[in-house]
Amino acid sequence: MRKSLALALIFALVGFGLSAAGAAAQEKPRYGGILNWYVYADPGRLDIHTESPLSVQQALAGIYSGLLHYDPDDPSKIIGDLAERWTESPDGKTYTFHLRRGVKWHDGQPFSAADVKATFDRVLNPDFKSPRCGSMLKPMVASVEMGDPHTVQFQLKFPAAPFVSAIASAWCRVVAKHILEKYGDLTKPEAQIGTGPFKFKRYERGSVIEWEKNKDYFIPGLPYLDGVKQFILVGVPTQLAAAKAGRVHIWDTWPPMKKTQADELKGARGGEVEVYQAPINTIFLIYMHTQKPPFNNPDLRRAVKLAIDRQELVAKTLEGAGVPCALLDPKLVGDFALPLAEVNKLPGCREPKDQDIAEAKRLVEKHYPNGVDVEAAVRSVGGYVDRAQLVLSQLRKIGIRGTLKTYESAAGFAVYGKGDFTFITTQDRAMVTADPGDVFALVYTTQAGSNWGKWSDPKVDELAERALKEPNREKRKQLYHELQRHILTGTPSAVPVGWVEGWFFQDKRLRNYKTSPTIYDHSTFMKVWLAP
Amino acid sequence: MANRVELAVGMAREAGIEPARAVGRARVVLQVLGRFATRQPLGAIGGVIVLALIATAILAPQLAPHGAKDAAFVQYLPPSAEFPMGTDQIGRDVLSRVIWGARLSLYVGLVSVAFGVTLGALWGIITAYFGGVADGASQRVVDVLMALPPVILALSLMAVLGQSVNNVIMALAILLTPTAARTMRSVALSIKESPYVEAARAAGCSHWRVIFRHVLPNSVATYIVLFTVNIAYAIVVEAALSFLGLGAPPDEASWGGMLTAGTQAMETAPWMIFFPGLAISLTVFGLNLLGDAIRDLTDPHLRGGLG
Repeated sequence: MRKSLALALIFALVGFGLSAAGAAAQEKPRYGGILNWYVYADPGRLDIHTESPLSVQQALAGIYSGLLHYDPDDPSKIIGDLAERWTESPDGKTYTFHLRRGVKWHDGQPFSAADVKATFDRVLNPDFKSPRCGSMLKPMVASVEMGDPHTVQFQLKFPAAPFVSAIASAWCRVVAKHILEKYGDLTKPEAQIGTGPFKFKRYERGSVIEWEKNKDYFIPGLPYLDGVKQFILVGVPTQLAAAKAGRVHIWDTWPPMKKTQADELKGARGGEVEVYQAPINTIFLIYMHTQKPPFNNPDLRRAVKLAIDRQELVAKTLEGAGVPCALLDPKLVGDFALPLAEVNKLPGCREPKDQDIAEAKRLVEKHYPNGVDVEAAVRSVGGYVDRAQLVLSQLRKIGIRGTLKTYESAAGFAVYGKGDFTFITTQDRAMVTADPGDVFALVYTTQAGSNWGKWSDPKVDELAERALKEPNREKRKQLYHELQRHILTGTPSAVPVGWVEGWFFQDKRLRNYKTSPTIYDHSTFMKVWLAP
Repeated sequence: MANRVELAVGMAREAGIEPARAVGRARVVLQVLGRFATRQPLGAIGGVIVLALIATAILAPQLAPHGAKDAAFVQYLPPSAEFPMGTDQIGRDVLSRVIWGARLSLYVGLVSVAFGVTLGALWGIITAYFGGVADGASQRVVDVLMALPPVILALSLMAVLGQSVNNVIMALAILLTPTAARTMRSVALSIKESPYVEAARAAGCSHWRVIFRHVLPNSVATYIVLFTVNIAYAIVVEAALSFLGLGAPPDEASWGGMLTAGTQAMETAPWMIFFPGLAISLTVFGLNLLGDAIRDLTDPHLRGGLG
């Protein structure tokens, strides 16, 4: 009797132990709940192909699908989204995507290859301004053809290594042919019809953006959440207050928290949140317009490049969370980046700065003996206004007197796009993929989408194109090194101050939320759920 | 102007000084001030504060240890011997910015009030004197302007005009004109009915002569009070506009703008809010005390006789 009781007890204990271990290893996703998040500015115009700010991409992330995307379970991998599989031709110039069947748009219309062709014909049209998707694809893609209603083929101009990551980007989403025909463009909320896990429910300007669960999503059983709410919270104090009060579940967007803010949050919410530091594949730039005085003069551009104290900017405005001076960050692209030891010795970057500041002053005095007054633009988002004041304080030392002009977020982008500025004191640009060629395609080539200063250097265009086409990794690396050296020692329109890092948090009730190398590719929330 | 000299003479006599034997005008003035201080001690305190403000504003380049925009130091330093008011979020000396901020506040306060109150006063007096349709129409305009909440009106003006110190002055002047017009209009109306104005008209003085020689001089007392009180108001509205981001550009040393930056670092660096806030409160306090004292002094019994 005692023996069997003892055995029973042992079995019970083992069974209990096993099931407990099992439960911890495989928590079952729970359906329901609304994820609360925030966006740093009102997106304004909602066209995923024509706009470039993070606020727009965030507002639409869960609404659309791409041909490919970064795996929500492991964002370092690219897997099929609307394409169930894809093949690459042996010469690397043709990619064939086999599309899923039975996919429906949010308004019930069926999805087909015609929608993919309409999407990419639009993006690749030479007259169509697409600063994100278009900037990346146009140099690489020659044409897009429809096979049968479930097959699409991309013909590339040359075998291009970054093609797959570009297609998988959150900016290259597939939109509906019938919606494009109906509305012409996608700037309005009514035009937000996608195939993604969430439907676009509501956009109250200045207040909130709401998504609701797509019950007919093409992956059965997803999404887990009933919806996502993004509060439009402008200004870091408001964002931080919301985080401290538990009104948002995550902070994984721009701007990142600074160390002092992360500490404040930890103090307020303690064990309820997980706080961590991460780079965000985003570069902090200063822009000068190369076709207007005074910066149409390369001497003045060189003066600014020499005088800016990048280390001070990173130390004070990012509280040290950043990599000053680098044009490519070794943390993100490995050895494609110039070694920091070399970068930190270049003029503009080397410390102490006395020699560079003296040279910069001399360059300014040569053309403007009494100094020069400049109007300096800044968008009043994140910590930009503080950065702007520090930049202007540094430039005052060499005789450039800036007057600050502040813009609301979307209005500022409109001004930059039109070129209605002389000097942009600070503007971050987030990379779309982790490919080293991104920053050049986005900012530095003549055709780059964010080349607001209208800089045109044929050598940069040539090196960037050769590097894009180069299949040999070692040769590609040498080309990118040459390109970095050329820009860092030259007089570009955009001065790289540094790569931005910061602090983020997740509510511990959030499950299965994974971050990706870029800030754009982890906000569909399709496989995320909330524990009670 | 006649009654002012009378006032000074009267006070000097009361103080026991024979004006004809005044050793120097300075002595008279000092003793007048002394009388003022004894009669209106609070006003004297206000006066001292206002004098300190004016001195700080004028002597800013000498007093401020550093430039207002020099971000040359370590950020978020607490008050110390080297930085008595600490440093701000990008490493500027808060004491220097408070001192330069006095110059900005005084400049904005004085110029906007000079324009706004003077324009309003002239408008009110002239339309009151001539009366009729012009008076009625302009008072409806004043009604509309006064119906708008002042800070909202100022914000809208700044949004239209764009951010700069001069536009703040313009917006504040527009804000102050209607109330000045209304107040001075009622003063002018009462003067218009007085016997000496009737006498002057009867003697054949032209309207403009009456206005310049009788109405205006007798409105001066009210004008002075209006002026002083509105400086405090203008300073506060400028601070509010800068706090909301629609006043002076963010890198100017404006007390209100410093408050905005301070709210972002309330837990880390409370001195960034404390010192500019103290400066605003002290300035308004001083100006109000002084304004009250001046109003008490220019009591009706002194304002009356022209002789």
